[in-house]
Amino acid sequence: MSSQSKRITLSEAAEIIKDGTMLTFSGFTIWRRPCALIFELIRQKRRDLHLVEVNSGPHSEFLIGAGCVKIWESCWIGHELYGKYGANLSRKVKNKEIIFEDYSHAEMGFRFLAASAGMPFIATQTSLGTDIHNPEYDMLGRAGLRNGKNPKIARKKYETMQDPFYGDGLQILLPAAKVDVAVLSVQQVGEEGTVRIGGQFFTDPEVCRAADTTIVVAEEIVPEECLRTEPRLNTIPSFQVDYIVECPYGAHPTGMFGYYDVDGDFIRNFYMQTRTQEGFDEFAREWIFGMDHTAYINKLGVDRLVNLQASRALNFSTRVKRGQK
Amino acid sequence: MERHDFAKPGEYTLADLMTVAASREVNDNEVVFAGTGMPMIAIMLAQRTHAPNLKLIFEAGTFDGRPNVIPTSVGDPRCEGGASRASGLCEAFSIAQRGYVDLGFLGGAEVDEYGNVNTTAIGNYLDPNLRLTGSGGNPDINSFARRTVFIMVHEARRFTRNVSYITSPGWRVKKWPSGEFVHRRELYGSAFRGGPSAVISTAGVFRFDEDTGRMYLDTYHPGKTPEEIKGLCQFDLDISRVKGETAPPNYDELHIIHEVLDKEEIFLPKPKKS
Repeated sequence: MSSQSKRITLSEAAEIIKDGTMLTFSGFTIWRRPCALIFELIRQKRRDLHLVEVNSGPHSEFLIGAGCVKIWESCWIGHELYGKYGANLSRKVKNKEIIFEDYSHAEMGFRFLAASAGMPFIATQTSLGTDIHNPEYDMLGRAGLRNGKNPKIARKKYETMQDPFYGDGLQILLPAAKVDVAVLSVQQVGEEGTVRIGGQFFTDPEVCRAADTTIVVAEEIVPEECLRTEPRLNTIPSFQVDYIVECPYGAHPTGMFGYYDVDGDFIRNFYMQTRTQEGFDEFAREWIFGMDHTAYINKLGVDRLVNLQASRALNFSTRVKRGQK
Repeated sequence: MERHDFAKPGEYTLADLMTVAASREVNDNEVVFAGTGMPMIAIMLAQRTHAPNLKLIFEAGTFDGRPNVIPTSVGDPRCEGGASRASGLCEAFSIAQRGYVDLGFLGGAEVDEYGNVNTTAIGNYLDPNLRLTGSGGNPDINSFARRTVFIMVHEARRFTRNVSYITSPGWRVKKWPSGEFVHRRELYGSAFRGGPSAVISTAGVFRFDEDTGRMYLDTYHPGKTPEEIKGLCQFDLDISRVKGETAPPNYDELHIIHEVLDKEEIFLPKPKKS
């Protein structure tokens, strides 16, 4: 692909993700989640998404609350200290409006690791003896979705075997986490797609390679040659990235190492407000519908963004109020 | 008052007491996995007192950190202060599965007599009264580390006979496909390294008999009695091995918690002046 052809708009990026897409994300809990693109998916009224992810966070709570998600396959959802659990997932589970599949966090990480290396499955010794492996709790199986019709849904939630090589006992075999699209929210991407992530890269390299299509939403698109003078600092090579979008504050209200801190007040208010569907709908009217990303940033306002601005030296904000003092 | 004198009731909070109790579970030179909140403060306190050479791991992918500002979560840039490496969670869990981790700090909504913990759903998993966060790394750290310590709110409904869902494995766990309970050592085989070693609740500190897998009361917090705590468990808590009161924080520890680590009062509000 030539360099210019990778650059698209937020709205075009959302159109690549069709109804029913198996989707995953960059980041970890309340850090580097592609929220701007998620708000755009909600505006475009995407439906029946199948989210496959490591520890989740506000981004998926937005999608789930908006009714975009049919299946949530993960291990955790919450807002760290800004909200005890995922109130929208919790409500939809109680009302039987969503299919959920639980693995452990290491299991999800290892499943992406397998998919990223073209391994059909991976062996691990985690979570033995837990209800994660209760055969009654294979939820995609219960929903009749493990019938081989979707080539990215494994025919079993997991399998067990004794180690055939070293005799090291019981092993859990987990299917690779294959997904259609990965959306990454990062600091910098080159014009040809080279990704440079600041700070912890979480599972971004793995989820990128696990997906058929990768969309990178970056704070800045930078000249490719700037990244190629020090390749050891780069995280993902250009040819693994299909589309790039420039979107400042694209992860807000989650945080971006070196750029801006987590907007804890925003996330806490979202959590408190969206414990009911009416509350979510009100939130969506105020912060999602009837605006684009530029309008969203303007609505947040300069004071708020300056407050979240990360120190260039420390990579986090020294101004943001985090506790009672 | 000397730095190492114990503080008096009213000079510390229950959360301070629990944090200090958690900190004392850490030995020097150990590799320790930290979760968000009180565990981070406990470990960073240990790093500044009796365990200066501990190696701190954050699940999201930071290794051997020496942060001097408290992170608000394990994905926080603040985790990376003084670290020897920052990468990702596949590396963190690979390191754990490989057997490097001595100790992990975890939480839970429900715990049973054998240290099985639930963080997934209250009630029937298929039709829950309340869906919670799900597992996160709780079962992973608990499967891979030599010791794990759980920090919990103590209520009778939480110290339950049977947890609604075993998210994290204790000393007697389910063997699938039948679901019969077996000793953890039998199921884990050569992958067995240990298991839950303590529960620090708002009422006391509990430990486990490794052979029977049963929980017993080790120390009770000041102001509580063993009988009262036994009444706060749905199972028949063993109080025959109790050693006495949980040691309160000393002035040095309180200073580090409130004036060095959590000045902003993110996780641990200061004791109210009476």
